[in-house]
Amino acid sequence: MSRRVLVIEDQEDNRRIVRDLLTSADYEVIEAETGEAGVAMAETARPGLILMDIQLPGIDGYEATRRIKANPALHHIPIIVITSYALSGDDVKAFDAGCDDYLAKPYDPFALLAKIRERLP
Amino acid sequence: MNRPAGRRLFGKYVVVLLLLVGGVLLLSSALDLYFSYQETKAALVRIEREQAVAAAARIEQFVQDIERQVRWTTQAAFDDPVAAQEQREIDYLRLLRNIPAIAEISHLDASGKERLRVSRLGLDAIGSQEDHSRAPKFLEARAGKTYFSPVYFRNESEPYMTVAVPAGEYGVEVTVAEVTLKAIWDVVSRIRIGQAGYAYVVDSLGRLVAHPDISLVLQKRDLSALPQVRAARGRRPAGGEEDVGMIAAGLQGGRFLTAHAPIAPLGWLVFVEQPLGEAFAPLQASIVRSIILFALGLALSVLASVLLARRMVAPIRTLQAGAARIGAGDLTHRIQVRTGDELETLGDEFNRTAARLQESYAGLEQKVEARTRELTDALEQLKALADVSRAVGSTLDLETVLDTIVARAVELSATSSGVIYEYDEATGAFHLKGSHRLEEEVVEVLRATPILLGEGAVGKAVAARAPIQVADILDEREYDVARIRAIFERLGYRSVLAVPLLLEQRIMGGLVVWRQAPGRFAPEVVNLVQTLAAQSVLAIHNARLFREIEDKGRQLESASKHKSQFLANMSHELRTPLNAILGYTKLITNNIYGEVPGKIRDVLGRVDQSGRHLLSLINDVLDVSKIEAGQLVLSLGEYSMKEVVHTVATAVEALAAEKKLSLKIMAAPDLPRGRGDERRLTQAVLNLVSNAIKFTDVGEVTVQATASDGSFLVSVSDTGPGISPADQQRIFEEFQQVDSSSTRKKGGTGLGLSIARRIVELHGGRMWVDSAPGEGSTFSFTLPVRVERREAR
Repeated sequence: MSRRVLVIEDQEDNRRIVRDLLTSADYEVIEAETGEAGVAMAETARPGLILMDIQLPGIDGYEATRRIKANPALHHIPIIVITSYALSGDDVKAFDAGCDDYLAKPYDPFALLAKIRERLP
Repeated sequence: MNRPAGRRLFGKYVVVLLLLVGGVLLLSSALDLYFSYQETKAALVRIEREQAVAAAARIEQFVQDIERQVRWTTQAAFDDPVAAQEQREIDYLRLLRNIPAIAEISHLDASGKERLRVSRLGLDAIGSQEDHSRAPKFLEARAGKTYFSPVYFRNESEPYMTVAVPAGEYGVEVTVAEVTLKAIWDVVSRIRIGQAGYAYVVDSLGRLVAHPDISLVLQKRDLSALPQVRAARGRRPAGGEEDVGMIAAGLQGGRFLTAHAPIAPLGWLVFVEQPLGEAFAPLQASIVRSIILFALGLALSVLASVLLARRMVAPIRTLQAGAARIGAGDLTHRIQVRTGDELETLGDEFNRTAARLQESYAGLEQKVEARTRELTDALEQLKALADVSRAVGSTLDLETVLDTIVARAVELSATSSGVIYEYDEATGAFHLKGSHRLEEEVVEVLRATPILLGEGAVGKAVAARAPIQVADILDEREYDVARIRAIFERLGYRSVLAVPLLLEQRIMGGLVVWRQAPGRFAPEVVNLVQTLAAQSVLAIHNARLFREIEDKGRQLESASKHKSQFLANMSHELRTPLNAILGYTKLITNNIYGEVPGKIRDVLGRVDQSGRHLLSLINDVLDVSKIEAGQLVLSLGEYSMKEVVHTVATAVEALAAEKKLSLKIMAAPDLPRGRGDERRLTQAVLNLVSNAIKFTDVGEVTVQATASDGSFLVSVSDTGPGISPADQQRIFEEFQQVDSSSTRKKGGTGLGLSIARRIVELHGGRMWVDSAPGEGSTFSFTLPVRVERREAR
């Protein structure tokens, strides 16, 4: 199993924090800034896990999650959704879209690391 | 007595008339009968008496003949006794031969001695010398009278009589003849009156001498006891003239009409009798005739009485029946009595009374009807006004309300059609807002070229601020809108009533009704239309206000939406950099970027703390704004209150431990499972407990959770400074803390309590505080165990 994690996030800072965190924990990090790019990269790069932000330009995180999960080749890849606290019911929508786990912003980076290690040791 | 008076009256009339006519008839019949009886009787008696007299005359004649013959034999005078004797014998024989009634004749000498006897019955005897000197026959005859002896019978069957007459030259001798009375019997038996009438003879002693039935004679009946015989004998001295007729019993019973006549020389009586039945047979026929006539007369009189009584009673009955009908309330009834007398007058009197009553009733009914109509109208107006008020109050659709008002105005004012205009201040035009039964072409004209202020009835009414009437549209001086007049003329409208719609002198519009009859409108109609106009003003005003409110509402809604969106965006925008700050800080302090010196680590700790505070501020502000906008939707689900309390305890353990406060959790062991928004409830409890820890420096914080009667009771007590009663009201409001310095000192947004209370209230619960300065505080809330779907406020 590849220790490659795909981070789909439009905010540079957030990507960097995750990148720095996961790199320090010996994960390979690849990044996409939009949902469409993320879905395409999931197909080409075949990551071991995907971190999905919800608020994205273009298609949002839910739609991107649905598309990836709809692809039998990618169906098995665990997706952890990062929800926004601002909108209630995000967790339900996230699970409905097919995600495996979720985390509300703002999150503790090490709590995120623990969840990733659970899915991708 | 239910028998009608007419019936009784009728009976009375019939009885009286019957008594009158019948009585007269009866009396005349009775008198007629009596007199005819008397006449018949007298005639019969006269006939009988004539018969009797005739019979008596014949008998008398017979006796006198015999007496004369016997006397004649004695007249020859002979000196020579022998010759005389012989001559006498010859005379006697001749006499016997000539007169059959003489059965024996004898001659008595002066001394009463029988000298000669010539007889058919026995032997003749000459010089028998029988002495008769003492016998009455000798003595009577010697005295110079003719002697008639009583009747005697020979052989017990033949009646005989002795007749003695004086004889001889000196009348000292006596000739005696024995005479058979069969001749008399013949006379008597020949007498016949009718079928059963007969005659009989009695002698001076009252003994029967002759009778058609000889056996009765032979019985020597003594009839002296019979009333008619006694009466006849008693009357004898008086001369026995006319009138001797009577009714008496016959010899063998039965009733007879009887008459008699005397036979003078003998002192006998001849009776002629006829049975009453036969005698009065003609009378009986007459009686039967009379009775039949009487019966006929009576029947006729009954008929006449009934007819007469009916004639008399009929008008009375008509009067009675008519009076009863009028009395029962049928005042249209008229009594028809045409008798031309007092009854007709009485009937007319009744009719006049009924007519007067009818008139007064009709007047009364008209008044009642008029009053009823007024009341009905008033009621209808009230109903219409209620309708209108309801329409005005219940629907804010102005067109509907105005249509209702116009419809009611047209109905109640009995006009043909009507419209309501709304006045447009900007253009000075009246716009059609509602109409009733108005022809489409009129509507089009009014829409195309609206009436202007001062124009037409409505324009003038509004300008004058008073109702305006046009009594005749066709009159150009009265109505000046030519384009409308032309149409109205064609449609047949003639008069108009226009009432202005004014709101405190501000022109709102006009209410106009049209009708097809020319003329002025009644003041009540004008009042009514004015009342409805006032309602229209309210409706238009309400509608305008509502339009404004709606506009404002829409603006507010959109503003609120913008605000929420703005806050959501803000929150996201703020959160994203904050997330980065907190994330980097965390990575740095965890030596991701290399070993961090102690001093820097300390500062980074403060950065992290400030960042978190800022984050909680952002979250709270977002919550409050969502609650305010009614956008906080509960996410209902099953939860355990025990878990909620323990989750909170876990979350604040570190905080309490940091302040060296004792945190006690007392959750009842049998708490039921709840239904609600677990995350929000956790937030509410967390806010209360966080506050308690925040404001308590020494002592303990206790969290208690119980359940009863379908409600949870959760309370959070602290040993903090307590809250004054005045402050207890304020602390639940947003951004309020007991003293503003505490915000700076204690941190926190001052939104926690407010958010907690709103969350509890959204669940249908209630939150309050019990506290006193220096006594600590207890914040409590109740909450339905099971919360079903409820609308966000």
